[in-house]
Amino acid sequence: MIVLSELENDALVEIFNIGVGQAAASMSAIVNEAVRMSVPSITFIHRAEAARLLRNQVFEPERICGVSQHYEGAFETEAILMFPEDKSLEIVRLMVGESVPLAELTDMEQEAMCEIGNIILNSCVGTLANIFQHELRGSLPAYHVGTSEEILTAPGSEPDAVVLMLHIDFVLEKHQIQGYVAFVLDLSAMHDLKAQINRYIARAMGQA
Amino acid sequence: MPQAKTVLIVDDSRVSRLMARQYITGLHPDWIVEEAGTGEESLLKSRDVHPDLVLMDVNMPGMGGIAAAQQLRRENPDLPISLLTANVQTATREAADAIGVGFVEKPITEARIARLLSPLEESAP
Amino acid sequence: MRAMDASVPAEHRLKVLRSVLAAVNVGAVVIDADGRVVLWNAWMSRHSGLAQEDVVGAELLAACPGLRGGRVDSAIGQALRDNFASVLSQSLNKAPFALYASAAAGARGERLQQAVEITPIDVEGAARHCLVQISDVSVAVAREKLLREQAMVLRSQTFADGLTGIANRRHFDVAMEKEHRRAKRAGAALSLLMIDIDHFKAYNDHYGHQKGDQCLIQVAAGLAGMLKRPCDLMARYGGEEFAVILPELDLDQAGRIAETIRARALELAIPHARNGEVPYVTVSIGITSQPRGAPVDIEALIGAADRALYEAKNRGRNRCAALNP
Repeated sequence: MIVLSELENDALVEIFNIGVGQAAASMSAIVNEAVRMSVPSITFIHRAEAARLLRNQVFEPERICGVSQHYEGAFETEAILMFPEDKSLEIVRLMVGESVPLAELTDMEQEAMCEIGNIILNSCVGTLANIFQHELRGSLPAYHVGTSEEILTAPGSEPDAVVLMLHIDFVLEKHQIQGYVAFVLDLSAMHDLKAQINRYIARAMGQA
Repeated sequence: MPQAKTVLIVDDSRVSRLMARQYITGLHPDWIVEEAGTGEESLLKSRDVHPDLVLMDVNMPGMGGIAAAQQLRRENPDLPISLLTANVQTATREAADAIGVGFVEKPITEARIARLLSPLEESAP
Repeated sequence: MRAMDASVPAEHRLKVLRSVLAAVNVGAVVIDADGRVVLWNAWMSRHSGLAQEDVVGAELLAACPGLRGGRVDSAIGQALRDNFASVLSQSLNKAPFALYASAAAGARGERLQQAVEITPIDVEGAARHCLVQISDVSVAVAREKLLREQAMVLRSQTFADGLTGIANRRHFDVAMEKEHRRAKRAGAALSLLMIDIDHFKAYNDHYGHQKGDQCLIQVAAGLAGMLKRPCDLMARYGGEEFAVILPELDLDQAGRIAETIRARALELAIPHARNGEVPYVTVSIGITSQPRGAPVDIEALIGAADRALYEAKNRGRNRCAALNP
């Protein structure tokens, strides 16, 4: 299992905080309200463990809504933004400005959730790519609903994938919502990422 | 020879503080860079070291950057303070204006730091 | 039909592709690395009123100035700079491009409902370009609106006050949240009236609770009938209290409506032996308004309407009073 040093962890957390901060600014422009997002912590765990963690500790047996995008280039990853189903509806309702009951979720809300995922994921990965000074290509978002296992298993990916899990705090209009962003990485992507973080830290310390 | 200035960097991210320090000392090797990891710490540090400029991250646990900046402003009406944030929206701008502080967009780059420091370079000791 | 392979001359292939692009039922715009339009298909010309010759070669933001600083602008930047794709859903982005179903719709300013996708594309021998695809989703949106309205009708049955049949407190709370948010989003004004039947307790004591109920039913019906616009809502807020939400009206306009309501109550001529000098049922009305572009909390709005109502009572009842929040 890959373990990050305190400095590496700190660097990644800071990079992702910048990313979600920018996403929050974009979303704030859409709703004309203050939006705050932050990444209090990150963890690295095996995919099966990640699914179990989400199911047991956080989301309970309810369903999860996920928006996923595939990125490739300097490294390859499936990035997935996840909220419990009712929270994701709450976010959409707050952003869209309509009061729609759970039973009336339509394609329109799914589209809105896709866009929200698109904004957040592009900001996170974009910040990563800029800071690491490497190119990536991002796909269009896809919407999924299901259990944590179903969502974390991208078709055709390796069984020993590792997940870089970001804990996300989302605040809009006094509503505080918690979600996750999971970056599913295979071992080589993991090593690439670690190498990039260290290059970044070396630059920070004036050693590059 | 202009006098060396003291800059106080406040950010809960150590790497962020390191980067800012690098950029500042890169431009002004003789300046003093002090650090604080929380809003509370920044108030104590500021009373100790009397900085000429404070860079304050907004997103910090505990007191938070805006509250700390507000308090600092109360204690030092003339101290240049800049909020650091990736989330530049109307609420941020208005909060900054209300306190009487500037803001700088994250990520911190050498260019952004240079722009922040230039008024200090021109000012008298 | 022959397959499109290398044996087919390039020029022929190009002609087929051009025809395809002209025929697809989707707007296709290609932007180069400098933000200039290099492709603007027939669908775009048809729905924008901008001919291809006028747009190709110009900067997109010059041809469509409304896009500047918006989501489309930043998404194009992300595509060209970061190689990322973006979607713009119709619910979060109301019709970013100036596209219309017809000239008549154009005259009315009714834009097409749009779903937009922005993707980076590689062009051999050149810097990265960006493809913008625009789909007309107006039909889907209209269908959804209809479904919502139908559901609203069904749901309104549990939002009705059992006695008077007008909206209940729950309906008011939900509607207030919605209108408040809408006003904030649109930077529009929002007014609130608090209406209280004068000396209602005395009425109940004198005429009995049966007649008291009937009085409430009559007053509710009579006053609700004074509201003309579909967005206006009158709800039974409490025992003998009614609240009226008046979106987009300022204090003066709300004041005028309040006055017609007060007058109407008197006009109903419901005898009331214990109403001081006036022998009929009257109401006192508190009026407040949040001005355009200056939203306040819902609690502040209700608080101000309450205080205004109190003022009306203090000044002698059977009148309206207005206060700013």
